[in-house]
Amino acid sequence: MAVKIVESCVNCFACEPVCPSNAIYEAKPHFLVDSKKCTECEGAFADYQCASICPIEGAILNALGEQINPPGSLTGIPPERMAEAMAELQSH
Amino acid sequence: MQLPVLNDAPAAKGGCSASSCGTTDNQMDSLPDSIREKVQNHPCYSEDAHHYFARMHVAVAPACNIQCHYCNRKYDCANESRPGVVSELLTPDQAVKKTMAVAANIPQMTVLGIAGPGDPLANPERTFETFRRLSEEAPDIKLCVSTNGLALPDAVEELSKHNIDHVTITINTVDPEIGAKIYPWIFWKNRRIKGVKGAKILIEQQQKGLEMLIAKGILVKVNSVMIPGVNDQHLAEVSKVVKAKGAFLHNVMPLIAEAEHGTFYGVMGQRGPTPDELQDLQDSCSGDMNMMRHCRQCRADAVGMLGEDRGDEFTLDKIEDMEIDYQAAMEKRKVIHQAIQEEMDSKRLEKATKAAQHKAEPKLTTRPVLMAVATSGQGVINVHFGHAKEFLIYEASPDGVRFISHRKADQYCGGDSTCGDGESTLQVTIRALAGCEAVLCSKVGYEPWEMLETAGIMPNGEHAMEPIEEAVMAVYKEMAAAGKLDEKPEAVRASA
Repeated sequence: MAVKIVESCVNCFACEPVCPSNAIYEAKPHFLVDSKKCTECEGAFADYQCASICPIEGAILNALGEQINPPGSLTGIPPERMAEAMAELQSH
Repeated sequence: MQLPVLNDAPAAKGGCSASSCGTTDNQMDSLPDSIREKVQNHPCYSEDAHHYFARMHVAVAPACNIQCHYCNRKYDCANESRPGVVSELLTPDQAVKKTMAVAANIPQMTVLGIAGPGDPLANPERTFETFRRLSEEAPDIKLCVSTNGLALPDAVEELSKHNIDHVTITINTVDPEIGAKIYPWIFWKNRRIKGVKGAKILIEQQQKGLEMLIAKGILVKVNSVMIPGVNDQHLAEVSKVVKAKGAFLHNVMPLIAEAEHGTFYGVMGQRGPTPDELQDLQDSCSGDMNMMRHCRQCRADAVGMLGEDRGDEFTLDKIEDMEIDYQAAMEKRKVIHQAIQEEMDSKRLEKATKAAQHKAEPKLTTRPVLMAVATSGQGVINVHFGHAKEFLIYEASPDGVRFISHRKADQYCGGDSTCGDGESTLQVTIRALAGCEAVLCSKVGYEPWEMLETAGIMPNGEHAMEPIEEAVMAVYKEMAAAGKLDEKPEAVRASA
């Protein structure tokens, strides 16, 4: 079982040093998780370390493929508000 | 150790006091010599120095340990100028190379800062590797760092080893309840901590870090973002607290929040302060604290004088081809720095003489006036109106001339109701000068001349290449003599 970093990753390096298993590595186009090394922090920490420092909602998925930080959970921007603002900008 | 600050200090040795200078609120005048020595060629710490010296940031620090509501971590835009935005992330090795290339090509560049795009101290290895190498390989460059403060207490020892004598801490509040409205979370001791609890830890770390830096004799500037309705009423208190702990300069900056930045404040419609609101707050803090007013809120990879960004000339592919002989560059830099210092000293002397003359004259009783000035440095009026990317705003009054702020000439449209479609750049520029009654530049074209006059702003090209303060005072006296200052102009403050 392992977490996964997906394409919305902005390559900020924050997760790499906090991983207790050294499972995260720099890659193109974005950082990746070595699924053989990832322990999902079991036995080490209560929370996924990578997902606890990651600033991008949706960039890290758990073993079930779910977003650990869903939209709105980190920025505090309600997703519908974000959608409205983006639609407003598109229309200009 | 508590550092004396403006209005508290005895008249500075070797300098001119505010009242004898003809300039009021001169940022440097009341500082003791030891501090003046440290900041006299640092454009981000000395208003005087920013007319002559350049700075650069290297973007080696991508990670952050907190989230601020004015920041969006999806940073990558070449066209925006604001903190946290960069185009190319550098390794320490690339950063050293870039710094030396810039130092050789822009010899007036005296300061290298690490300011992001994340938090420099959340990237300790990359940040300190860059500092360590630069302090060895380019010892004539001043090093400085800015931080949100969360990791600061643990970094103070290391910072003092690298001869970093300027640190900027962003402190937006000393109240956890207010903090929770600015910082949604922090990463602390292996957990993401949200709300008031997280803000409280951040504030404690900032204050502790500030005290530790002062104890080490490191100069501390405090940056605060003014967020109307959130911390605007509270920042005077912040100013008092950080001054009492020994910070020597407070930089209150306006919130930048546009929906297209995708930040919490931008999307949620939080507005930034108006220039008037900002100035009022800076003025109200200045009774207690030495205030910085010339900050340009630059990018984490900015290069050049504060008002400009020459980053395009020093991209990775370009510096790859540059052969730098740093020993030779250092010789050249030394000569140039000395010449600039002499020029600054002679101008300061000249300013003091003029001010003494001004003081000897009968004191005017006229109202204060705001004037815009087009300058690209050297403390003189030397830019054509149409070429100005920004204007410096000065206030002239019977007490003298003081620097107030800068305003961008090419401000992008905020999309509010006052900004109609099809507004020309010229109209936008003139709108940016609202509240000013004169604009001083090296030349003004016919079309803008008429439009400026219509807008109630007197264009003036008669003081090209003259020192700014002298020219502003000369125009002020002309206005007084012409009887223009007897009455209030129409709605100056309301529209500014």
